[in-house]
Amino acid sequence: MENLKKTKLDKKMDIIKKKEEAGLLVNKSQNRALRRFLNNRLAVIGLIIFTIILLATIFAPIICKYSPQRIDMLNRLLPPSSEHIFGTDKIGRDVFARILYGGRVSIFVGVGSALGAAIIGVLIGSYAGYKGGLIDKIFMRISEIMMSFPQIVLVLLIVSIVGQSLWNLIVIFILTGWGSIYRMTRAKILSIREEEYVLALKAFGLNDIIICYKHMLPNALGPVLINITLSTAMFILQEAALSFLGLGVPLNISTWGNILNVAQDISVLRENWWIWLPTGSVISIFVLSVNFIGDGLRDSLDPTQQG
Amino acid sequence: MISYTIRRILVLIPTLLIITFLVFLGLELTPGDAVSYMVSPDALANISQESLEQLRDSLGLNDPFIVRYFKWIREVLKGDFGYSLSSGVPISEIVFDRLPATLELSIAALLISTFLGSILGIVSALKKGSVVDNILTFFGMIGVSIPQFFFGLVAILIFSLRLGWLPVGGRLLPGHKAFLDTLPYLVLPSLVLGLTMTAGVMRYARGSMLDALNKEYVRTARSKGLPEWRVKLIHGLRVALSPIIVLIGFRLPMLIGGSVVIEQIFQWPGIGREFVAAVRFQNTPLVMMIALLFVLAMLISSILIDLFIAMLDPRIRLE
Repeated sequence: MENLKKTKLDKKMDIIKKKEEAGLLVNKSQNRALRRFLNNRLAVIGLIIFTIILLATIFAPIICKYSPQRIDMLNRLLPPSSEHIFGTDKIGRDVFARILYGGRVSIFVGVGSALGAAIIGVLIGSYAGYKGGLIDKIFMRISEIMMSFPQIVLVLLIVSIVGQSLWNLIVIFILTGWGSIYRMTRAKILSIREEEYVLALKAFGLNDIIICYKHMLPNALGPVLINITLSTAMFILQEAALSFLGLGVPLNISTWGNILNVAQDISVLRENWWIWLPTGSVISIFVLSVNFIGDGLRDSLDPTQQG
Repeated sequence: MISYTIRRILVLIPTLLIITFLVFLGLELTPGDAVSYMVSPDALANISQESLEQLRDSLGLNDPFIVRYFKWIREVLKGDFGYSLSSGVPISEIVFDRLPATLELSIAALLISTFLGSILGIVSALKKGSVVDNILTFFGMIGVSIPQFFFGLVAILIFSLRLGWLPVGGRLLPGHKAFLDTLPYLVLPSLVLGLTMTAGVMRYARGSMLDALNKEYVRTARSKGLPEWRVKLIHGLRVALSPIIVLIGFRLPMLIGGSVVIEQIFQWPGIGREFVAAVRFQNTPLVMMIALLFVLAMLISSILIDLFIAMLDPRIRLE
């Protein structure tokens, strides 16, 4: 037996065995989802772009010497130059500064609304899914009614009643956006409810709230995380569209959509491309990076979704 | 099938009642006198205080809330939506005036996204994992990430302002009536709206085709020795196509949301543009009625989809 020739497979096995004994493999297999995410090239690129843009908006004062509010009537509608990378707008404000500072607000609106909607949706959804009964029926009906409106129509409808402001917009986004996360969490919890460990916990006489939020919810968080990323992308696009129409964030606050607002004017559209083209591109690239991250998360957390 | 249809419609009634109730509540909460949108402004122009009170009484404005709500529903069912606050024109007239333009744009965009999306999605599924598949998937991602209005602005800049091939916006020059006259105006907005919806259809078509190709009868067809193209196109495609048709209905919210934005940039005189204008001028009666129409359209299409699915798959009817 000793001198039996080792096959290729045996050699491979030996290498794996050695690694295992040296304790190298244990570390690697610890977080499968994270490793799968990092193996997804597009997701990593998305994460890098996302981080760069986010940091650029946070450290805007270091990157750009102009204030987004500074009006300079002598330097109106300047094309891009080394002084003003993306030129200046109709009242002489530096477009690059506005994109950086506007990004703060736009990203805040997007991420904040998505998180707010997720918190409400998850809290209600997991409890309603777990308990069922009347609470479940009521919230199901409410979300059904919310979802029978096309989202942008519902948002505009509420804007026309309560008026425009930054916080109004975030609250409206949360109010109109929690439905989808609620339904998803509820469905996930419904399927977990049938598992044996839940029965066991019940048999131990554990409190409903503890079973629901401490033991069941963590198992439903994967899809929630994906949903948060995708709805961040959606809210950023919606804020941009609403502000572009002049119905989102009030015009005195710079946001990505508000910078684009002037492009409704045909002469700006034709002559002053530097005001709207870079801004629109930044929105597209940022949303694309968020979508890449969301797709990467979906592939790494939920293998059944892979096409 | 008939009992399923009836059940499906009955389920809708409570939803409809609640939505109309909310719309009515919104109208009630509007600052200002309800008479101003219930009666044509011509009739209100030279009215004395006394006869105004009489008018309020005869309109039932002094009735309890619930009574007024049901009276209002009766009027809406009769097609009387009240009057626009800004122009004084009956809302039903505004809607019927704007509807053809919106339908024209929506149908064109639906056709574009259905054809392009299903063809690209099926190609992508047949060549799964290839370069073509990856490129298409990548473009699909870009498609859902670009703001619709930004895409529209770039299209206007390139094709209307720089190249001068197509008009910047609007629908018809005064005096023109035929469809051929609108065609150049229709091209850009419908392409922009259609292309932004293509990504979703493509993704769905790809999944649906892959699903169909993994079914047993496809393997059976292959084991019979049929040529590969026959297996894929005849056995796979036929089954894959029916869910794609269903997807037309699911695109309605996107279509409505998209038309709100697209009509604005292209100055397309449709309902979406009227809606934005009404929101801007806080013309609440008009906002509410247009929103109600959008919701009705969504609910009706969801019923039609359900019926269509039930027609294809008899198991659903028995539930």
